[in-house]
Amino acid sequence: MTLIAFVLSVILACASLAYGFSQAGMIDPARWFVLLGIVWILSHWRKLYWVSSLAFAIAILGAAYGVWNNFTTIWMLLGALGGLLGWDLSDFARRLSYAAPTDDIRGMERRHLTRTAIVAALGFGIALLSLVIRINRLAFEVAVGLVLLAAFGLTRLVIRLRKH
Amino acid sequence: MPRSLLLGFITYGLLLAGIATVRGEFIALALPLVIYLLAGFLFSPDTVNLEATRHLSAERASPGAEVTVTVTVVNRGDSLDEVLIEDFLPADLTLRPSTGSGQRFGHTGHLIRLRKDSSFTFSYRVAGPRGGYGFESVRAQVNDFLRTTSRTVELEAKGQLFIFPPVTRLRHVAIRPRRTRVYAGMIPARVGGSGTEFFGVREYQPGDSPRAINWRASAHHADADMLYANEFQQERAADVGVILDGRLRTNEFSRGHSLFEYSVQAAAALSDALLAQGNRVGLLVYAAFLRWTIPGYGKFQREKILFSLAHARPGGSNVFADLEHLPTRLFPPESQIILVSPLHEDDLSPLVQLRARGYQVLVVCPNPVKFELSYLPKNKNVELAARVIRMERAILLQKIQRAGIQVLDWDVAEPFDQVVKRKLSRPPGFLRSTH
Repeated sequence: MTLIAFVLSVILACASLAYGFSQAGMIDPARWFVLLGIVWILSHWRKLYWVSSLAFAIAILGAAYGVWNNFTTIWMLLGALGGLLGWDLSDFARRLSYAAPTDDIRGMERRHLTRTAIVAALGFGIALLSLVIRINRLAFEVAVGLVLLAAFGLTRLVIRLRKH
Repeated sequence: MPRSLLLGFITYGLLLAGIATVRGEFIALALPLVIYLLAGFLFSPDTVNLEATRHLSAERASPGAEVTVTVTVVNRGDSLDEVLIEDFLPADLTLRPSTGSGQRFGHTGHLIRLRKDSSFTFSYRVAGPRGGYGFESVRAQVNDFLRTTSRTVELEAKGQLFIFPPVTRLRHVAIRPRRTRVYAGMIPARVGGSGTEFFGVREYQPGDSPRAINWRASAHHADADMLYANEFQQERAADVGVILDGRLRTNEFSRGHSLFEYSVQAAAALSDALLAQGNRVGLLVYAAFLRWTIPGYGKFQREKILFSLAHARPGGSNVFADLEHLPTRLFPPESQIILVSPLHEDDLSPLVQLRARGYQVLVVCPNPVKFELSYLPKNKNVELAARVIRMERAILLQKIQRAGIQVLDWDVAEPFDQVVKRKLSRPPGFLRSTH
């Protein structure tokens, strides 16, 4: 179950990025993303789990590059999200490899995939919302201040949540 | 690199890029990662309070015997989404394949979900060679379901397993030390009294059993008008010191073969038999260092000796390379010493010195020549070398025997109890003299 979800995530990440890049006429980088997906899946099969972190970082960099060059944002967002899911599931599969065959692997997989799907859907939804909603009358200084405030608030929130 | 750190770097990088370029798309890219991080932190357990206990089906086992180890982990803290439990086996112990039909059997690692105040029990079987093994702790890695936070705790769950050497039951080991103890035992004490072995004939005295009257001797001396009675040898307990030679130079051979396990087996069997006869037995393991088990009687002493033998390892040191430094003061004067050793040519002089000090010495000698020949290829060179070494060894054993030392040359291919029955059930001729 996890393996299928992992492969689908990698396909989502690489195909989205490749499609987004090819739409912008960058065929060679699009091929590189397809190759990245293949290498990622093969390395997971060979239990080279560290490759997953690298591939995730490359996917995010690729998405950021695409956003920087005004490629279709939705594909870049899907690429980043797929990369995140692939990275998470690769690590989860590694953890599952330590489980004994008699452990409740099915139950753990089911719970993990459900929760991860919820988190991914929530993240994607909020990100999509942020793309749709646009506030035009906002000074740059105010925007910067809000972002810094958000970062500070996030950090405080995390600290507070961890304390409780 | 921790996962949360990597994710944090990427998230803050995207946020900074968004600020620097005044592009909301970068912030949008960062949002799924932020949600992921937040979800991980939100569901991470506040307190991890796990306890572990361990139970072994047996604390004492024989080599190769399977022992079931059962570990129970109890969660006294918050509910835990993902706990990776791993129990580490002591070196040399091996995990046996699962044959039980029960759940959670046969593995040392488990990935589980552990709710508050619930427990998880798993078992596995181990087996191993002779030795003492200590189980220390169980490692538990507690993760939130996204593993953004991870904590590893060592849960103390101690347990000990002793794998004792196999003890071959010996019917009787005949020893004749010069001095015995005052307590009744089975060793002829060279003193007349009640016993089973004939000692001599003396004048009948009032109080002697009529059954003890030697009618033939009385008839021979009928004119003296006296009765003669048989006298038997008193049987008492004796002091016995068993020395196990663990020197590398005598035990280790080419291609990793070793005679040490046979020596241990012989020492265990002899100690067991001599303790069963009521003697006071001590054990000295003479290897890289000295390991001395103070002499004692009975089953408790048997356990102590087996415990010491379980831990015995062959070793080499410059100090104890030969038997010159044998601490003879540990053994009572004129007591019985049993040396279990494949012997080295340099050992003749220390053995003769032991005998000269009044000890009755028995050397149980696992035969190294036959042992080496059992695994070496059979060709002319090996046969010639074996012949030379066999002759040298025969000369060494002859010299030792001439010094009044009893030698039991043991071909390890033959069971030890059979060799003892044949050669040690009666004392040798030169020791049978009662005076």
